[in-house]
Amino acid sequence: MLKYNFKYELKLLLRSRWIQLLSLTLLLLFAFSAYNGKQKVEKRISVINDALLEEEESDVMMLALIDSVNQGLDVSVPRWTVPTSPTAIGNYYPRVASMEVQPLALIATGQSDLFTPYVKPRISGDDFALNFTEMTSPVQLLFGSFDLAFVIVFLLPLLIIAFSYNVLSAEKESGSLRLLASQPIGIQRWLLQKLALRFMWLSLLVVASLTIVFLLLGIEFLSEAGAFFSLLGLTLAYMLFWFALAFLINLWVGTSAKNAVSLLGLWVIFVLLVPSVLNQLGNSLYPIPSRTLMINEMRTKKTEVSKKQDEILDNYLRDHPEYAINDTTETRSFWHRYMASQKLVREELAPVVNTYESQLQRQQDLTKNMQWLSPALTIQESLNSLAGTSSADYDHYRKQVVAFAENWRDHLLPYLYNNQEITMDDIVELPAFQFQKRPVSMTATILPIILLSAGVFILGLIVARNLYKGQKLIHS
Amino acid sequence: MIRTTDLTKKYDQLVALNNLNLSVDPGEIYCLLGANGAGKTTTINLLLGFISPSSGSASIGGMDVFENQKATKSLLAYIPENLMLYPSLTALENLDYFSGIAGRKLPKSRLELYLNEAGLQGEAFDQRISTFSKGMRQKVGIAIALAKEAKALLLDEPTSGLDPKASNEFGQLLQKLREKGVATLMATHDLFRAKEVATHIGIMNGGQLKQEFAANDISLSKLEQAYLETMDYKEELS
Repeated sequence: MLKYNFKYELKLLLRSRWIQLLSLTLLLLFAFSAYNGKQKVEKRISVINDALLEEEESDVMMLALIDSVNQGLDVSVPRWTVPTSPTAIGNYYPRVASMEVQPLALIATGQSDLFTPYVKPRISGDDFALNFTEMTSPVQLLFGSFDLAFVIVFLLPLLIIAFSYNVLSAEKESGSLRLLASQPIGIQRWLLQKLALRFMWLSLLVVASLTIVFLLLGIEFLSEAGAFFSLLGLTLAYMLFWFALAFLINLWVGTSAKNAVSLLGLWVIFVLLVPSVLNQLGNSLYPIPSRTLMINEMRTKKTEVSKKQDEILDNYLRDHPEYAINDTTETRSFWHRYMASQKLVREELAPVVNTYESQLQRQQDLTKNMQWLSPALTIQESLNSLAGTSSADYDHYRKQVVAFAENWRDHLLPYLYNNQEITMDDIVELPAFQFQKRPVSMTATILPIILLSAGVFILGLIVARNLYKGQKLIHS
Repeated sequence: MIRTTDLTKKYDQLVALNNLNLSVDPGEIYCLLGANGAGKTTTINLLLGFISPSSGSASIGGMDVFENQKATKSLLAYIPENLMLYPSLTALENLDYFSGIAGRKLPKSRLELYLNEAGLQGEAFDQRISTFSKGMRQKVGIAIALAKEAKALLLDEPTSGLDPKASNEFGQLLQKLREKGVATLMATHDLFRAKEVATHIGIMNGGQLKQEFAANDISLSKLEQAYLETMDYKEELS
């Protein structure tokens, strides 16, 4: 039976123009979304490159200024920005800590719309409260970005529904099911073969369309074969899930109209409702303290400590005798007091910041643990991870930036408290930020989705068995 | 070849078929006559295994229909009132598909032979079914039965809606199949066609087989009278 289904299913699909329509739709959707994604990625890369270029130019100026000072020449910059001072280096010649753009970043915008692709931690910055948020269009937040992940997660299931909702019911409604059922074949097996063939054709179209689009847009995907195959694996596993649902509904429900409504209902549940409910649940169970209040508290704290900076500095130097080697009250500047008070502010605000972060973490953990309720959510998260734009990726990056900021400060503070000037030799020793990519594995995602799909298929077979016993499959 | 023993089908309180006993041997054409709701289609559905009986049994080729669905279906062919094939496939492709899924892998020449035998003109072989009349579709149905080398043929109102010429051609095809030893059970309203093609005729009403005749033993007028009497249409006779 498979050979004949294989031979004639393609003929039927070609003659009904389904294959042609699907190919065109997929090509257009993939091309448009990949183009959008590529534009965004190029913008991010350009922003990072501009920042790195600016850093280079700034470094050239910094070296020139140090050289001039060393030669005893007058320099035409404000005194507090002369780079022989550690605080001038720390504040006016910061390093760029950029989040490296991943090769397949175009597939999912993820959190990249909300966060800046680089930061420049300064010695006086509030890096402990970093979150890199940018102003974002509320309309974009509402509808998301038209990227490949959007097409795969939201639109591809709709194409699958349109392609498969009436495979059995159309036969029933046209009357050909009675002729089919009078043959020595099992109808559920026949349906399984028909859907498997449609899955195979659609998979081929998806793979071909993605390959063509990537080639046309000049995306280097062959050098990142692992990531590209992960993208294909995720997409095919997700498609399999929707075909499994179509199989179940075709057997269970009955008329084409009811099948379509049922599958669209499942689409609403899995793609819209479950992710939204989980998000809401996270907000209700683990509410995040207001960021505005946190910033206000930080400002209040700073005002308080600025009033007693001398006392704080004395305490600080008592705690850090290594910084007090050359200390005399005469050499104490604004920065000595400020940096000491910053530490106090940091310590006193730690509980507030920790609450903020831990609540956010709990929210993310809840979504992560419950994501199996919706394969759409799982796939979206995985595509974001593949693109390097997931919440986890930004959190990973944020931690690296915080660690780097601390390193930057710790490197420069001994110069400040020892009243030591920065020389040309010290410049090469300045810390540089090196982004480390978060390791991801897609097998952990693909396998459960395949198992979930297999479960739905088995449920379909059980349903068919019961219906066949009651003869409802053909005679309803 | 086709046999039912006390075959009964009930839907809650409604008795759709009541203790049907009939037998169709190879080379026989048994016509079941009866009004709508008499139980003819229920009988066909039970023999096809589309519905399960409340009691009694049905067999094809000596095998119980409900216990050996695949085996019995490989012996029978079925042509419903409106034979629906795949409209975007040609006659030849439809025949190839239905023969193929039934396990009969046949070369093109054999398929053409069957279509020809079923009375379809050669130029229609490669035309899409969407362009076919009902009579032409029924001929493809006969070709499917021929290709399957079916031993039993179940027909549900096959000549309904056919013009007299097409109906006559269909009758001739049934005779050909009869000569090949096929056992045919045909449900119909058409007394004239039944008298013309059948070897045996049964009249059903209210789910029961009320009368049975050997077709040669009864004239068309007597058959009509018996039919109307069975249907309680006595007032019309007067």
